[in-house]
Amino acid sequence: MPDIVDIAVSNDSFKTLVAAVQAANLVETLKSPGPFTVFAPTDAAFAKLPPGTIQTLLQNIPQLARILTYHVVPGKLMQADLAKVKSVTSVEGSPISIDCSDGFEVKNATVVMADVEADNGVIHVIDNVILMG
Amino acid sequence: MTTATSTKLPPSTHEFADIIHRLEAGGAMLPDTPENLMQIIGIYKAYAVPMDFYWRDLLYIAEEVFLEPFNFFKYFLPKEYLELHNHYAGDDADLRIWRGEATAHPELLAFMEKGELNQKIPRLFHHWLHDRVNMEFAEACMRAMYWHGRDMGWGKFDAYLDSDEYKANADVAIKAYFKGNPVMLGLYKLFPEMFLEQVRQLSYYSNLGLFWEVMAPVFFEMSDLYDEGKLTTVPEAMNFLVNGIFAIAGRPIYHHAHIRGEVYEIIPKSKGFTWLYEAALPYVEAVFYRTAPFRGTKSYNAQAKQVPDEQKDFHYGILYADVFPVGTAGIPPTLLMQDMLHFLPPYLVDYYRQYCRGEDDMLIQLGITFQRSMYCVTSAVIQALRTALLYPLDDPNPKHLMANRRFFESQLDRFKRPESRIREIQSQDYR
Repeated sequence: MPDIVDIAVSNDSFKTLVAAVQAANLVETLKSPGPFTVFAPTDAAFAKLPPGTIQTLLQNIPQLARILTYHVVPGKLMQADLAKVKSVTSVEGSPISIDCSDGFEVKNATVVMADVEADNGVIHVIDNVILMG
Repeated sequence: MTTATSTKLPPSTHEFADIIHRLEAGGAMLPDTPENLMQIIGIYKAYAVPMDFYWRDLLYIAEEVFLEPFNFFKYFLPKEYLELHNHYAGDDADLRIWRGEATAHPELLAFMEKGELNQKIPRLFHHWLHDRVNMEFAEACMRAMYWHGRDMGWGKFDAYLDSDEYKANADVAIKAYFKGNPVMLGLYKLFPEMFLEQVRQLSYYSNLGLFWEVMAPVFFEMSDLYDEGKLTTVPEAMNFLVNGIFAIAGRPIYHHAHIRGEVYEIIPKSKGFTWLYEAALPYVEAVFYRTAPFRGTKSYNAQAKQVPDEQKDFHYGILYADVFPVGTAGIPPTLLMQDMLHFLPPYLVDYYRQYCRGEDDMLIQLGITFQRSMYCVTSAVIQALRTALLYPLDDPNPKHLMANRRFFESQLDRFKRPESRIREIQSQDYR
């Protein structure tokens, strides 16, 4: 089975995410055995951010890496697992609230495709970039 | 489009329902009138010029003055810091916000040279005659962030100041700074915490300097856009701030000390600290909402119980301040009002001349304008947080709109206390 990075690279809707993960030197981490749960924003999700946001982050790699690691949770958590909890703690350290009462929502993002299984974890595709706080 | 109205929420029952509905429609806490827009933009300009001095001097103290025990000249900015390029203005900007130059603002340079006295005398005399930028105000803001820092949920900056890694970084810098000075090195051995605490404070100098380095070009650009007729409403002004907040959200917050040509990374950029989380949000909480009780309006007497026990209950920021006694003893914002007085755009001076006591009470009139403008900035912060953490204002899902409303209501709950000026700023009669 392909790993998390392979899946993202092979899919056309994750161009920004892949570029950001490469810029932040997180490729090796996300190729490691993990396992990880990744909430992956689509290109359309990144495009919703106001102008300049991505440019500043690409100029500042540790800060970009921090935002990206907020989208990653240790362990392989399927939708069924996440439905049992109110929040999970990201690799960044801040909590991510989960709401499965009506659809599948992660913080203020909606999961548009759940349970994309990878060799070293699982990807849930989301329609918004999520932010700490 | 037929369902657009059916997804709207029933009216809010909050005390400030009108303001909540305005926020839900993409507005600010401040009513959208041309008079309000003129006031807030004019005062942004008057604030940005001294702010251009504040951020440069804060960084100078954090990086160069550092632990100087006799820092008599810490407000005497050297040429390099006046020529230091703002990262968000000028041709070589990381992200150009202001189209103007990256070095110190020409009005600031002119004021530093001639001052109110309008005389070219040595800087030391300007200083002694108190003809200068009141840098103490910037330090008071820094100290508010420092003192409230541990108590606030935002950011990881303050927690890092207690880590072993930070202590080790500071230790290297302290020893390098006092190299060849056995007295200070001996004192450091005896009282290490005393020195460490000073370095922590210097890290907050750097934090606030890096915060204001962004705000100065944002305010300059807003003033220029207004002059060009490109900012025409209060919501447009607020949205410019919201976009500015997002654009710069990821800039690093760090503390570097420059000692004998070497750079000591006390808080390295690689820690991932960001402008939004480690500077902007803590700043708003510490300075706009909390600060410390004014010596001239509250008794610190422990029996009198005028000052709250808990820091979270402090409500002495600009959003609550009584501006009327500005210019009297024990009212710290006077320092800032006096600084802004020198850089008012002509249209604002004309405006103040027509009201109240004209030029005689301009300090108070501009103070109240400043309060209005900070309600606009706070509105931008609230809208930015809503954008980041919640949902768009035109979200079709009523559950999402309800979450937005609950957020707005919880933010406005903080203005229910009688000291808040949100009721007053709804009317132009408050001046």
